[in-house]
Amino acid sequence: MTDGLAAYIVRRLLFVPITLLIVSLATFYITRWGPGDPVSVYSGQFRDEEAFDRVRHQYGLDKPIIQQYGIWLRDVVTDGDFGVSFRYRDRDIPEVIGPRIWVSARLGLYAFIITFLVGIPTGIYAAVRQGTWLDPVIIGFFLLFQSIPVVVAVPMLVMLFAVWLDWVPPGGFDGLVSRSMLIPTLALSVPGIAGVARLARTATLSTLHDDFVRTARAKGLDEATVVFRHVARNSVVPLMTTVVGLSLVGLIEGALFTETLLGIPGIGSFIYEAVRSQDYNVVLAVVLLITVAFMVANLVVDVALIALDPRVRDSGSVR
Amino acid sequence: MSNRLTLAVLGVAAALILALAVVLIVVVAGGDGDKDTAGSGGAQTPSASEDGNGNGDSEAGAGELRLRGDDPLTLDPATAQDAGSAFYIVEIFSGLVRLDKDLQVQPDLAERWDISPDGKTYTFHLNPDATFHDGRLVTAEDVKYSFERALSGSTASIVAENFLGDIVGAKDVSRGRAEEVSGISIAGDTTIEITIDAPKPYFLYKLTYPTGFVVDRRQVEANPRRWTNKPNGTGPYKLKEWRLGEEIVLEAYDKHYLGAPKLKTVRLELSGGSALIEYEDGNLDLTGVGLDDLPRVQDPSDDLNAEYHQVPRQSIDYIGFNTTAPPFDDEKVRQAFALAVDRKKIAEVSLQGAIPTATGIIPPGVPGFTSDDKTYGFDPNRARELLAESSYAGDLPEITMAESGAGATVGPTTEAIVQFWREELGVEVNIQQAESGTFFSDIDQGRYQMFHIGWIMDYPDPEDVLDVLFYSTSKQNNTRYANAEIDAMLEAARVEQDSEARLATYQDVEKRLIESAVWIPMFFDVAHVLVKPYVQGFEFPPMVIERFRDVVVQR
Repeated sequence: MTDGLAAYIVRRLLFVPITLLIVSLATFYITRWGPGDPVSVYSGQFRDEEAFDRVRHQYGLDKPIIQQYGIWLRDVVTDGDFGVSFRYRDRDIPEVIGPRIWVSARLGLYAFIITFLVGIPTGIYAAVRQGTWLDPVIIGFFLLFQSIPVVVAVPMLVMLFAVWLDWVPPGGFDGLVSRSMLIPTLALSVPGIAGVARLARTATLSTLHDDFVRTARAKGLDEATVVFRHVARNSVVPLMTTVVGLSLVGLIEGALFTETLLGIPGIGSFIYEAVRSQDYNVVLAVVLLITVAFMVANLVVDVALIALDPRVRDSGSVR
Repeated sequence: MSNRLTLAVLGVAAALILALAVVLIVVVAGGDGDKDTAGSGGAQTPSASEDGNGNGDSEAGAGELRLRGDDPLTLDPATAQDAGSAFYIVEIFSGLVRLDKDLQVQPDLAERWDISPDGKTYTFHLNPDATFHDGRLVTAEDVKYSFERALSGSTASIVAENFLGDIVGAKDVSRGRAEEVSGISIAGDTTIEITIDAPKPYFLYKLTYPTGFVVDRRQVEANPRRWTNKPNGTGPYKLKEWRLGEEIVLEAYDKHYLGAPKLKTVRLELSGGSALIEYEDGNLDLTGVGLDDLPRVQDPSDDLNAEYHQVPRQSIDYIGFNTTAPPFDDEKVRQAFALAVDRKKIAEVSLQGAIPTATGIIPPGVPGFTSDDKTYGFDPNRARELLAESSYAGDLPEITMAESGAGATVGPTTEAIVQFWREELGVEVNIQQAESGTFFSDIDQGRYQMFHIGWIMDYPDPEDVLDVLFYSTSKQNNTRYANAEIDAMLEAARVEQDSEARLATYQDVEKRLIESAVWIPMFFDVAHVLVKPYVQGFEFPPMVIERFRDVVVQR
């Protein structure tokens, strides 16, 4: 049985480089295809096409894209060199991205936890209360918050907490234990709660009337035990893969706006800036990093599920 | 049964709220304690003021200035081409000459220079006390190396030819035909001779731009890609710390050849929320003010009003016509469009009077500028007449004006301008927005009929706008304007040694260009700044020049 799991992990890991190769090639092409290039962007009012061409030549930007990709790939594989950033010319790309990731990771931590801790119980509760007024009211309440775009929610939160109440700074990031966490945590967690709650609700509903639940009730177990021990374990736990993935997407999407609006130097505001200024290599590096994060998160959750699920675990084979 | 479930859920919710509350209390309480000790500038304040008390009037500087900044694109003087990078470079590095706050050329690394009678050869005598931050003396060899490195292809500088290209042989190096610049020769340890291709009076101005600043060869060659992380410059400040996206700290170089800076530390916060709120909270000593906050700081009854300053900047916002594209190849159409726009009203209504209307092409502070309005006034009747007289009367092609932008909303002034054309001329002008990179290169390729754009002076000489933008074969002639008479005047002005005659020529060129409506000069730029009263000696130069050395901060 452990053999099966190990083989499964190895098989999944084999796909990582293939996926990365496809993603990198696609991103490389897409970013370099469009009009304009970083040399032109960063030259601002200096318009000297001859000088541009000399600089493009120096950076190899005058070569065919596929050849540029080959060079890039070679440098990444042999030297871990992701190329130059045109915005941060004095630094290597990992060095530029590292601190930004660290900021975003800390920024999203509370939001990630709160989304689960609030979303899942809410969804279960709404499912159990299906058919009463509480179900639509609870889900509707969180849907309302989900419907407010982050670009609107963030300025409203700033207005409320930073200007009127004057509790927190209007932006920036002062560390995990600081008042500056309040607005990003709310902005990143509240919209996600509805999504998680609805998934948990649907999953719970589908299990709520299964035979084993009826048996549990028939045994005379009280409702809380039935719901938490029997229903939730069988409905919500398998949901985790989807939910973790979705929450990650939500966090990264949210980070893009939240960080840009609040002036927080995280990966979200960074990719916004890089895309806008056509800083090819940086966009590419960030996209790859996010891809890796997804794959790793999904793999870890899948493996955890397999390890926990007796049906999969004991059958000795994994899909 | 179900009551227990309700209780359980409520219990979980309560626990969560409780946990959040505890976190908040800890954070708020902790934050209060933090604020004055660990806040970006706070921690340094006590030690900085101790320095101040301890050293008093002694040589070493004291005090700390805290402001907002941005990560520079680069700290390499050779490749820097933007004001954001130059802002730091002029403090950390230095060149042969610099601009003072009145934009006059002053000695820097060169303590004096001689110009040959033909105006083509400059002999610079370096300050014998000039040292790099590590104490090594600056030699003529360092200057020569720095110029040649800037020009060399492998440095990949877009601006090197622009600022150093007047030197004889410079283009041979930038085009890879030579290793050494033939017009630069070393005439002793601290003497260097530079020969330029024609007697151009603005050559010294070009040397005040970072491109020609001196770098430490050993450091650059030891670590070509990363040396700027801890540059060994020759400027009044050392780069003490640069944490990307967080903070840059400059520290006075007390052994600087022009004397120790009075201000010990400059701390630039590279991220954060509203700078105005941070300024009000006392975390910043000076800050810029955005258009939205202007009415407030301009209100005399507001506390901030006493700390508010308006600073002219040497740049101009204009509408340029592609003079080869229909219908703007007809001068009368251009004139009609210029006469139909009431710029004063736009300035009042859309810009809340915060930005002055342009009086010509040469911005204030640049020699040759005059404050009398040389532009077309608002005269809709005359505008309609001219349009009717033009070769496109009654038969105008579709017209599109381009501007830089993300495509979501049009700037308030653009909207107003288009409305004037619609109402006064009955012409509907489309607006096309493009990302700045695309926008600039499309202008270069003449893809737009007209464009709304700006020009920031690189050095305070009218040549930097009139010759660079209107000489027929200039690379930056974005209006594609070609007039043999104007070209002849510009050529003469380049080498005219009598500065009054030279400026008169430029003013004449300016007048003709405005009359022919190659541009509609719209606005001169102004920066709006708040400075705490305890900051003394902070100048507001209209261009990027060294600015921290003489600042005194006494909180």
